[in-house]
Amino acid sequence: MAEITFSQKNPAYPLMCASFRAMHTKVELLAVGVDDEKGRDLMQRAEAEVRRLERLLSCHDDASPLSALNSLAWEQSVEAEDELYMVLELCETFRRATYGYFDVTAMCSETDGVMSLAGGYSLDAKHHSVRFCRKGVKIDLGGFAKGYALDCIKRMSQQEGITQGVINFGNSSIAALGHHPYGEWWPIGIEHRMVKSALAQEVRLADSAMSISGRSEAGEYHIIDPHTGSRVAGEELILIEGRSALVCEVLSTALYAAPRAKRADIMSQYDGYRASEIVCRRDGTTECRVVGATVVEK
Amino acid sequence: MNRKEFLADCGKKGLAGVALSLFPWLESCSEKAQQEVKGEKARIGMIGTGSRGLYHIKNLLRMPNVEMVALCDDYRPHLENAAQYYPNAKLYDDYRKLLEDKSVDGVIVTTPLYLHGRITMDALRAGKRVFCEKSMAFTLDEALDVYNCRKEMNGVLLIGQQRLFDPKYARAMQMIHEGKIGKVVGVRNYWYRNNDWRREVPSPELERRINWRLYSEYSRGLMTELACHHLQNGSWAMGMLPEKVMGSGSLLHWNKDGRDVYDAVSAIFTYPNGVNMTFESIISNKHFGMGEQILGTEGTIDLVTCMRYTDEPAPKGSGMHQLVAQIENGVMSNSVFAGTSWAAETSSLAPGIPIMDNVTISTGESTVGAEADGSIEIMEAFVHAVITGKQPEKVLEESYYATQFALLADKAMHENAILTLDEKYRVPYEPMK
Ligand SMILES: NC(=O)c1ccc[n+]([C@@H]2O[C@H](COP(=O)([O-])OP(=O)(O)OC[C@H]3O[C@@H](n4cnc5c(N)ncnc54)[C@H](O)[C@@H]3O)[C@@H](O)[C@H]2O)c1
Repeated sequence: MAEITFSQKNPAYPLMCASFRAMHTKVELLAVGVDDEKGRDLMQRAEAEVRRLERLLSCHDDASPLSALNSLAWEQSVEAEDELYMVLELCETFRRATYGYFDVTAMCSETDGVMSLAGGYSLDAKHHSVRFCRKGVKIDLGGFAKGYALDCIKRMSQQEGITQGVINFGNSSIAALGHHPYGEWWPIGIEHRMVKSALAQEVRLADSAMSISGRSEAGEYHIIDPHTGSRVAGEELILIEGRSALVCEVLSTALYAAPRAKRADIMSQYDGYRASEIVCRRDGTTECRVVGATVVEK
Repeated sequence: MNRKEFLADCGKKGLAGVALSLFPWLESCSEKAQQEVKGEKARIGMIGTGSRGLYHIKNLLRMPNVEMVALCDDYRPHLENAAQYYPNAKLYDDYRKLLEDKSVDGVIVTTPLYLHGRITMDALRAGKRVFCEKSMAFTLDEALDVYNCRKEMNGVLLIGQQRLFDPKYARAMQMIHEGKIGKVVGVRNYWYRNNDWRREVPSPELERRINWRLYSEYSRGLMTELACHHLQNGSWAMGMLPEKVMGSGSLLHWNKDGRDVYDAVSAIFTYPNGVNMTFESIISNKHFGMGEQILGTEGTIDLVTCMRYTDEPAPKGSGMHQLVAQIENGVMSNSVFAGTSWAAETSSLAPGIPIMDNVTISTGESTVGAEADGSIEIMEAFVHAVITGKQPEKVLEESYYATQFALLADKAMHENAILTLDEKYRVPYEPMK
C-alpha cells in the first residue's frame, strides 16, 4: 500500500510525494503540479504496474511465468508471453552489446569458459519460445527489472501530463521528468560510502536517468562476473547517466562486472550515456573518473 | 545464500580468517574440511524416529557422506515410518542394542527430552559420536553429567541448537561484534503460537507417549522446547553469561486437558553488565509470531527477519523529502541520497537494511522444523565430526548454557525466586567475540 502526501505549501508548485515497497526496495515518486485526485490515480496505476512487472519478471515467485520457464526450459522449448519474450530479447541484445558482462543467466554460469562465448538461452522468434543452452541455467532479471519498471512509470507519468518529477527506485536507480522548479536540473547527490550524508558526487538529471552499482549497503557483493561465475569484489561505485533508466541500469551492472580495461569499449557503443567510477576513501575524499577520460580529484 | 556461499563470500572479502575465528564450528564446511571427508562415510544410527527424526532423515538423505545403518524406536509405527527410507537399516526397539552395534559410528538422539541425557551418556560411553536434540538434558545436574561425560570420553557431542549453524545468525552476530548497532543494551525473544500444542493420539493409552511435551515427567514445556533455542542469543551477542534469572509461568488457557507444563511463560535473564534478555511465550495468541531481537545504542538487529534498523537519525530526511522541502521553500540546493541502496529514515517505521541477500526466514510456527534455519548445516557438521572424530569448538558450551538457563528459568518460575546458576554448574566458557 502506497503512502501519499500532498503539499501546497508553495502555491506556485503544489506537489505529491508518495512511496510504496516493491521489487525488494522502496519506490518513491515526486510529482510537481498535481492535485489530489490526479496524484492518487497516478500513484495507484504506477503501483499496479510495478506489481504487475514484479509478478512477470520475478524468479523468486514460484507462480511467475519466469519461474515456470526456469524450471522447464532445459528440458523443452517454452513459449513465453509477448512481454516476457521481448524482455528476454532485450536482455540478449544487451548481453551481446556488453561483451557478455550483462547476463541475466550469470547466477548459474559455469567456470568452464563456455560462458564467454554464448548466453544461457536461445530464442526462437517464430514461436516466441525460449530454450536453455545448458543444464542448470536460471534467468534472474534482478539487474533489469527496476530499470525497465522505471522507464514504464516514467512513460506513464508523462502521459498523465506530469512534466516535473522524480522517480526513485531504492536510491540506486532514479529517473527525472523535466527539471527542478528552481533550477535547470534535479540535483541528485550520491552519498559518500564512508561518511554518512556527505556528498561524493553530484548528478544533474534533466529528463534523464541514472543508476549506481556497487557493494550493497549491507556489505554484500552481489554482482556476478558472468565469465567466471564468481562475485565481483570491486570497492568503487559505477554511475551511469543517460536517457533511459533501463540502459543505465543494465550498463551499471555490466561495467561493475567488467574489468577496467573493457569499460570504455563497452561505453563507446552507447551514445549519450556517461559512466563514472567513483571511489570513496576512508578519509572522506572521493575520486571520480569518467570512463574513457582523465581523473578528476575532489 | 547458504553457509558455503556465505563463507565463500567472506573469502572474497578477505574475511575468511576472521569469520572462521569468530565461528570456528562453521569450519567443518570449509573447502578444506569437505575435502578431508570426501569419499568417506559416516555410519549413523538414529534413536527416536518421531517427527524431528524424520525431518533430519529427509536432510540426511541428500548428504552423500551418510550411511544410515540402524534405526531405533520403541514405538513400532514410528520405526516403520523411518524404515521406509532406509530398507537396509537394522531396526531396534531397544536403544542399548543399537549402541552395541559395532557398525554404528554416530548416533542421532531424537527422543523426548527426559531421555536425552541418559541415551547421550550411554552412547558416549559406548564410543559413539553423538548428536542429541535440544535441550541437552532434563535437569541441571544431568546437563553437567552429560557435559563431563563427553569430556571424560573425549567424545564428540553436538546439541540440536541449529541457530548456531545458521549463516544468517552468524552474519548478524558478526555485525554486532563489529559494533554495527553500537553497544548491546537489550535482547528480546518471544515465541507465540495459537494452538493447543497437541499431537493427534491414535488411542488414549498413547496420550503421554505422543504428547510427552505436555507433561513434566518428560519435558519442561515451553522453556526446554522453545526458549532453549533463543537463550544463546544474549551470550552469543555479548560474550557473557546471565548472572540472575527470574520468571513467571502459568497454565493460562490450555488447562483442561490434564497437562502440567505452563502454557504461558515470561522470563528475564540479567547479565553482569546490567543488560536484560527476555523470553516470552504464549500459545493462545500468535499475532507477534516469533521474534529474536538484539537492541543496540545505534541500531537493532532482528535475527528472525534478518534486518538491521538504525537508530541514528538521518539528519536531512530521505532524499525525496529533501527535494520536497526545497520546492516548498522555493529554493534549489544539494540533496544527498543516491547510493547502492536506500538510506534509513528516522521514524520507527524506517525501512530496515537486510543483513544479507536472499535469505529464507522462518515464522516459528512449525513444530517439526523450519526451512534454512541451520538444521542442514548442523547435520553436515555432525556428519563431518563422525568421520573425523573432531569435536567442533565452542558450540557445546553455548548449547550447554542455553539448556542450563532454560532449566534455571523454569526452576525460578516454580520456586517463585530469583536464581543464580550455582558455581558447580560452571564449565569453561569462551566468549565468541
Ligand atoms: N531443533 C529443533 O528445532 C527441534 C524441532 C522439533 C523437535 N526437536 C526435538 O526433537 C526431539 C524429538 O521431538 P519430536 O517432535 O520428534 O517428538 P516425537 O514424539 O515425534 O518423537 C520422539 C520419538 O522418540 C521415540 N521414543 C521415545 N522413547 C524412546 C525410547 N526409549 N527408545 C527409542 N525411541 C523412543 C518415540 O516413540 C518417538 O517416535 C525433542 O527433544 C524435541 O525437543 C527439536
